Amino acid sequence: MIDEYAEAAVQRLLTEHAGLAEQGITVILRERTMVLYGEVESTARRDEIVRLVEENFPDIPLHVDIGITRATPPSEAEDLL
Amino acid sequence: MNDPHDPLDPPIRIAAVGDVHMDQDVLGRFRPALAQLPEQADVLLLAGDLTRHGTEAEARCVAEEFGDVGVPVVAVLGNHDYQCDQVDKVVDVLANEGGITVLEGDSTVVDTPACRLGIAGAKGFGGGFAGRCASEFGEPEMKAFIRTTSTVADRLGVALRDLDCDVRIALTHYAPVADTLAGEPLEIYPFLGSYLLGQAIDSAPTALAVHGHAHRGTERGATPGGVRVRNVAHPVIRQAYSVYRLG
Repeated sequence: MIDEYAEAAVQRLLTEHAGLAEQGITVILRERTMVLYGEVESTARRDEIVRLVEENFPDIPLHVDIGITRATPPSEAEDLL
Repeated sequence: MNDPHDPLDPPIRIAAVGDVHMDQDVLGRFRPALAQLPEQADVLLLAGDLTRHGTEAEARCVAEEFGDVGVPVVAVLGNHDYQCDQVDKVVDVLANEGGITVLEGDSTVVDTPACRLGIAGAKGFGGGFAGRCASEFGEPEMKAFIRTTSTVADRLGVALRDLDCDVRIALTHYAPVADTLAGEPLEIYPFLGSYLLGQAIDSAPTALAVHGHAHRGTERGATPGGVRVRNVAHPVIRQAYSVYRLG
């Protein structure tokens, strides 16, 4: 069943599971789907989020929109004059 | 009020990033960008959450990734770095294997071409912001929560005021103002920072305050005293590091 308790349980899984430790993912309920969005540092971490949420909450339809944070050098500096 | 800095001097160039959450799976991601760092900045600040769980092995990844980058590296730890109760080992690895200066309620001075740059740092803690903050009242757990923040903020303020340098910077993991939390759910602001940190920063002529922790926040803000605040959490700046020029 998808409700606020499931939403809270997924949020805690993302943070407290030793294989995840992700606090920056937003969990929202949209119609009958749970949406996860935010950014992580690698595709492996995104894949593990999906795997563990699907494994622990197999009855919840999931939509994942998690990106990988870019690590390119800055194109310009900010002048604080 | 900022410290005086002669406008004829070259600008002070500060690179900063937080919340890099290093582990084996991301080792090497930052190195291509960091190769350009000495051309862009005089110092690199790491604003906490350097690791995922605060293990010695993850700290070794931080040391490998952010050590030997051609400029001094100064860091504070974040809440993730405390998860496995190995803080002493983490600090030891960062310092001895990465050459990274780790601050917690103390300070360091870096000689740059422009001036003597003082950096005071502390992880900080939560509690919320003026008018919507927790108080040291009631249950022992509640008192301990706010007492922790208050103690850390006091130490940060003393470290800033005692610095013997030309320009001061404050480095924390938790946010000193609510401005840079815009985008985060209002309900979790008390877990993201405290006005007590901002008050400590305003107690000295600080030129810039840098923090992380709020992944969904906003880069730019200011303290009530007018000190510019930058949230450099990696998901906020969306690049390997940001560079700020003072002067």
